Amino acid sequence: MTPLVFGRYYATPSPVHRMDARMKVTLLLAYIVVVLLAANPTALGLCALFTVGFYVCARIPMGVAIRAVLPLSFIVVVTALINLFWTQGGAVLLSLGPVHVSEAGVYQALFMGCRLMLLLFGACLLTLTTTALDVTDAAEDMLRPFSRFGLPSHELAMMAGIALRFLPQFMTELDHIRNAQASRGAQLVDRSLKERYGAAKSLVIPLFVSVFRHAETLANAMDARCYHGGAGRTRLHVARMGSRDFVAIAVLVAMAAASTAAGLLL
Amino acid sequence: MITFDNTRFTYNGQRFVLDGIDLHVRPGEYVAILGGNGSGKSTLAKHMNALLVPDEGTVTVDGRSTVDPDALYLIRSTAGMVFQNPDDQLVATLVENDVAFGPENLGLPADDLRERVTEALHTVGLQGFELRETAQLSGGQKQRVAIAGVLAMRPRVLILDEASAMLDPRGRTGLLRVMEQLHQAGMTVVTITHSMEEAALADRVLILDDGRVVREGAPADVLTDAAALTERGLTVPFATELSRCLQQAGVPVGTHLHDNDLEEELCALISSR
Amino acid sequence: MRIDFEQVSFSYADAGTQKRRGSKRGRRNAGATPSDSLERHGQAAWGNDPDELWALQDVSFSLEPGEFLGIAGHTGSGKSTLIQHLNGLLHPTRGRVLVDGADLADKAAARSIRGAVGVVFQYPEHQLFAGTAFDDVAFGPRNLGLDADAVTERVERALAQVGLDVAAIGTMSPFELSGGQQRRVAFAGVLAMDPQVLVLDEPVAGLDPAARASFLDLIKDLHAGGLSVVMVSHNMNDLARLCDRVLVLSQGRQLFLDVPEAVFAHEEELHAAGLDVPEAQRMANSLRARGLALPTRLYATAADLAAELAALYAHGDEKAAGRTAFSSPEPEAAEPEERP
Repeated sequence: MTPLVFGRYYATPSPVHRMDARMKVTLLLAYIVVVLLAANPTALGLCALFTVGFYVCARIPMGVAIRAVLPLSFIVVVTALINLFWTQGGAVLLSLGPVHVSEAGVYQALFMGCRLMLLLFGACLLTLTTTALDVTDAAEDMLRPFSRFGLPSHELAMMAGIALRFLPQFMTELDHIRNAQASRGAQLVDRSLKERYGAAKSLVIPLFVSVFRHAETLANAMDARCYHGGAGRTRLHVARMGSRDFVAIAVLVAMAAASTAAGLLL
Repeated sequence: MITFDNTRFTYNGQRFVLDGIDLHVRPGEYVAILGGNGSGKSTLAKHMNALLVPDEGTVTVDGRSTVDPDALYLIRSTAGMVFQNPDDQLVATLVENDVAFGPENLGLPADDLRERVTEALHTVGLQGFELRETAQLSGGQKQRVAIAGVLAMRPRVLILDEASAMLDPRGRTGLLRVMEQLHQAGMTVVTITHSMEEAALADRVLILDDGRVVREGAPADVLTDAAALTERGLTVPFATELSRCLQQAGVPVGTHLHDNDLEEELCALISSR
Repeated sequence: MRIDFEQVSFSYADAGTQKRRGSKRGRRNAGATPSDSLERHGQAAWGNDPDELWALQDVSFSLEPGEFLGIAGHTGSGKSTLIQHLNGLLHPTRGRVLVDGADLADKAAARSIRGAVGVVFQYPEHQLFAGTAFDDVAFGPRNLGLDADAVTERVERALAQVGLDVAAIGTMSPFELSGGQQRRVAFAGVLAMDPQVLVLDEPVAGLDPAARASFLDLIKDLHAGGLSVVMVSHNMNDLARLCDRVLVLSQGRQLFLDVPEAVFAHEEELHAAGLDVPEAQRMANSLRARGLALPTRLYATAADLAAELAALYAHGDEKAAGRTAFSSPEPEAAEPEERP
């Protein structure tokens, strides 16, 4: 019943879903570098083409991808607007008092906007194809070298995983509480400060009580299933590099090469 | 399988929530524990897999005392527990990760984990649900995933603490069917419940009141004792209630627990007139 | 107070879009008469995401003043969505909700009936928040802008209505109370708004049988005191026993809307929608299938069925002679009898 939000997993069988999560995180970082280094529209266009290809391989419908990115698109708009007004050069197309919009500004706004859009699509590809648990598992693995210096990598990953698992539930619950208090006339707008404070309190306290109630049962349920921290624990998904991971590396190298070539030659 | 020997327990040091429980659950038995709110039945359940340990007396599971720290994980994997709220006991985002959570804690190798996940999901009738998101399931399906998560530890006893209380009728029916199948396959089942429909399926029924077992016996005896049930704030099964109404109206029928038995007697009685 | 649903349809996908575009625009859209682009609303926007489906589709009914209306439906049938339309928490994507003839989508109309439709949501004790039970119940009346004396009077009356004594529990923290008392306090919090229509979503869920019975008695008393009641429940025994009419929802559509006698005559359709008939009704149907000449009507309680069976037993011979005539289970032949 909730609209698709950033960070939600889209379950479908695809080679990208089955890739090693650590590899996906690493490749995402590489992807970000390539996109940031794309020097001209042709290079960026090639990156976009590859990105579309990734989504096709991941079997994610166009609409789902767009709705995953949409909530964050305001960042793109803000960035584009800043570039539009700050960058000067070429013919002035429009003057609003002291503010001028130039050709270079329009070019820069479009270029930066598209670049940022690609970055968002890249990040969403990770969250759409990788469960929160796998991302946190990957993070746990990638942080493990630091556990030598006392970083509790398993505990951090478990906490993050549980937080992600319960986040949608708490959103739903907050919605229920808000409905209930609104039915008793609670209003956060058009009211005095004191009344707003009261209305906010009527949402926050029940939510806290609910968090603690859930936490207690969850702790019991985890205990009952023999949870005792990371020591001696195995995993269903043993992250193993497979052929599809190497294919993915090859594809990303190709994307980097194409983008660089376009940047140098054109 | 599970033995309570004069067990007493208190949360606050004043009132004993369990006040001298003697109980023996035999292997393969299906036991239903009834009681109103505050009768101590959830506390009793938590003693069965060492989530709580007695203040006085002992609780043993498969011969091992629940206070023995070395036996803790053995006890918890022998006596698996399913809780009331389907939203509070699933740990993972995906079904297969959640089912694997228990065996992962036991440190089993990945191949075994996979086998157990497949087997457990098959047992609860959710084969093919491995990659579904837990948040997208219905309440009844969530509870079956929770059962699969317990079954994946290959327990010998399944304890259900009001596991059907928050389900709608369709979810409840599905859950009861799974419990029935498991019991037939030899699993020991202990269910804490308000539901007479659920209790009627058991081999033995206990009524708990104020931390004591006040009534115990076969469902046909205990659940047809309307006075004992009403006194503890419990509902009377429909067939029993109807039998009683009929007797009061002068129809000479026996007191029945199951609809079918009552219907047969009624038909015979009325058509013979 | 009378509430009319006129061909109400609702889609969460559309509501989500409205929210994202900014609440002002959303509200303006909701205020407009049936949308200009019905075609666009009618189809799922992208793919077959479950979010895109209609939560309610073409629901039309009227809640008469003083009526007790039951709403039954399987999980996901649209019950909760429907409830939120009753006091304007949600606005129809298509169609209208009228309260005493005024469209709820109109802000002024909505404000004028504020508090008149009181909604008690599922597990209402989960919304308790104030330092004392008194303050929690007073939250609604204070939001209505009443003065201190009027608030005190409302709180005392509401707590008395749910069988609690303000002197005994008024100064206690709601979290110190027992589960049943917490639910009563939450209930009083809605009654203190002085509603004319009381909407209850699974009011006895999670209670033990004794508490359940006393709560249903409370609801019956409130209805007898003049309130209109809308009650959502999974329990067909309760609906059959208490309601004037029952609305059955299935996948967002209105399956039945009729007196319990008529609704519970459709055992098979109800089963298909994931619902049962009352236990007494189920056994009556089963006995009839075994050849007993029970009249076709509603059996809401065990006592109800026992009386009929006792009569059948006493006049066994006469009825047996006319068995064939009686046992043909034709719903048209059913005479809705006066219910106790």
